[in-house]
Amino acid sequence: MSIALRGVTKQYGDFAAIDDIDMDVSTGALTALLGPSGSGKTTLLRIIAGLEIPDAGQVLFDGNDATLWPIGDRKVGFVFQHYALFRHMTVFENIAFGLKVKRRRLRPARAEIRKKVQSLLELIQLGGEQDRYPAQLSGGQRQRVALARALAVDPRVLLLDEPFGALDSQVRHELRRWLRRLHDELHFTSIIVTHDQQEAIEVADSIVVLNRGRIEQAGIPSEMYDLPNSAFVHRFLGQVNELPVRIRDGRAYVGPIDISAACDVPEGGGKNVALIRPHEIEIGEPASGWLATIVAVRVIGPIVRIDLCAEGQPLHEPLEAEISRERFEAEHFSMGQKVGLRFRRWQVYPAAA
Amino acid sequence: MSRLLLIATALLFLGVFLLLPLLAVFVQALANGFGAYYVAVSEPMAWAAVKLTLLVAAIAVPLNLVFGVAAAWAIGKFEFRGKSALITLIDLPFAVSPVIAGMIFILIFGAHGWFGGFLRAEHVRVVFAVPGIVLATVFVTFPFIARELIPLMQAQGNADEEIARSLGATGWQCFWRVTLPNIRWGLLYGVLLCNARSMGEFGAVSVVSGHVRGLTNTMPLHVEILYNEYNYTAAFAVASLLALLALLTLAGKNVLEWRQPELRPAARRPRDGTRREPA
Repeated sequence: MSIALRGVTKQYGDFAAIDDIDMDVSTGALTALLGPSGSGKTTLLRIIAGLEIPDAGQVLFDGNDATLWPIGDRKVGFVFQHYALFRHMTVFENIAFGLKVKRRRLRPARAEIRKKVQSLLELIQLGGEQDRYPAQLSGGQRQRVALARALAVDPRVLLLDEPFGALDSQVRHELRRWLRRLHDELHFTSIIVTHDQQEAIEVADSIVVLNRGRIEQAGIPSEMYDLPNSAFVHRFLGQVNELPVRIRDGRAYVGPIDISAACDVPEGGGKNVALIRPHEIEIGEPASGWLATIVAVRVIGPIVRIDLCAEGQPLHEPLEAEISRERFEAEHFSMGQKVGLRFRRWQVYPAAA
Repeated sequence: MSRLLLIATALLFLGVFLLLPLLAVFVQALANGFGAYYVAVSEPMAWAAVKLTLLVAAIAVPLNLVFGVAAAWAIGKFEFRGKSALITLIDLPFAVSPVIAGMIFILIFGAHGWFGGFLRAEHVRVVFAVPGIVLATVFVTFPFIARELIPLMQAQGNADEEIARSLGATGWQCFWRVTLPNIRWGLLYGVLLCNARSMGEFGAVSVVSGHVRGLTNTMPLHVEILYNEYNYTAAFAVASLLALLALLTLAGKNVLEWRQPELRPAARRPRDGTRREPA
């Protein structure tokens, strides 16, 4: 099912949680709503679910105006960060809940419910655990039960509110990959809310970045990572180094490096910053670029993070560079060593943004 | 060593302040043997007091059960104007001395009260009759269930209900299948406290009852009358019945908990320590 939002607005007192948002989610896509806390991503999800009514605007399901549909009629599966499993019910009863509360005429027979729950238990790899209570399960297992419970009623859209936020990183990683596989097999339309850009990039087909109730940018994860259209999105989608840009004789410089080639030289007197990701900094011979000193080296599995103090930069704000383990071992970089920096890629924004 | 000391202190305290008085009631009640005990409790006036006490509890507890759940639901799950005023209002019976609570009803429904003339014309007796006793008891036990449920429901939030609704449950199904099971231990505890208090209430009931033996005497009032007549054995015999009722409710709670072992941890929640009542 496709979902469209048209001019959706939601105020809480004077605070605009959602400010005139237009958004499209195509059938079968997994879309991530990404943003810092307070950006309105959860409110947006709750509006789509029918848990909140927008003050203005429309929510369209397959082109039909669903803005005022009661939540029970929307056929949305909802999954919360803290699972919200019914603690007095077993795993089986939790998953069967949506089937058992159906009107008598629509309710499947007992044997049919049993069969459906069994197949969902297999799907979430918890076959044989149906008589356990939520308190007896691990966090990852609970979240899978919550997902199965949502899937039991054959929702047209699956809405996930920070579903992996309460789990430790190992489990989170596994569950993310599992969700992606599940999505590829079943092809339901899903929207996942997260504040973790890694998660959004890893799992989603498209990302919508929200900031202060507005959409900053929407698009395909890899493109947005490489071509953010604002400093906010650039910062939010990954680590960045921020360096002041100086204009001299119509050319733009960061330190001694001329960056005019790959960006428009900013006009006017305003201050500008260049945003450069750690892996876009190249480290070479001292004479090859901006002179810098290595002040810290951290080997993190396959990558190595190096802190560099560039000439003319404040000492307490070292640049962060990332190189591969192979490269690090070939070059023998060490603390205190003098090196030259060059940038592979950068983007310039007005400093105020 | 310090652990032993702590346990010993706690046990000593329990023994002196809880077990000893309870034991004393039964010892005193049986001081003249089982025969005298049986005569004292089967005496018609005592029996009337037992029946009235049970009747009052049977009306007051369900009323406050419905009210308590409704109020806690509204406060715990919704945002609205005047919420803090409502919470304060619910606490009022805790803040007001029960004697004053009784006086209020005399003032309103008494012969010289606001509605006194109207009630006399309609031949309805409120004060110095069973309706007055019920009203006073409902007033005094008003906060017990609501107070027990409000923090619980606030802590639980709306997530379970929202999920249930999204799965297609109606409001009713939501309440019976999700909300009620989530609060049942707190509710049970509130009902027990409310029940214990409504059977044991003395001050407010004493003011509105008029002490008509066999008609408007509840058990606590009957105990007092017997005591004032120096009829110690009978006083303690009736008191022991009251204590027995209390012990039975506690035993009932334990049996219920024991029958649902997998749910027990959910019932153990930190409760607010602000519950206190004036003498």
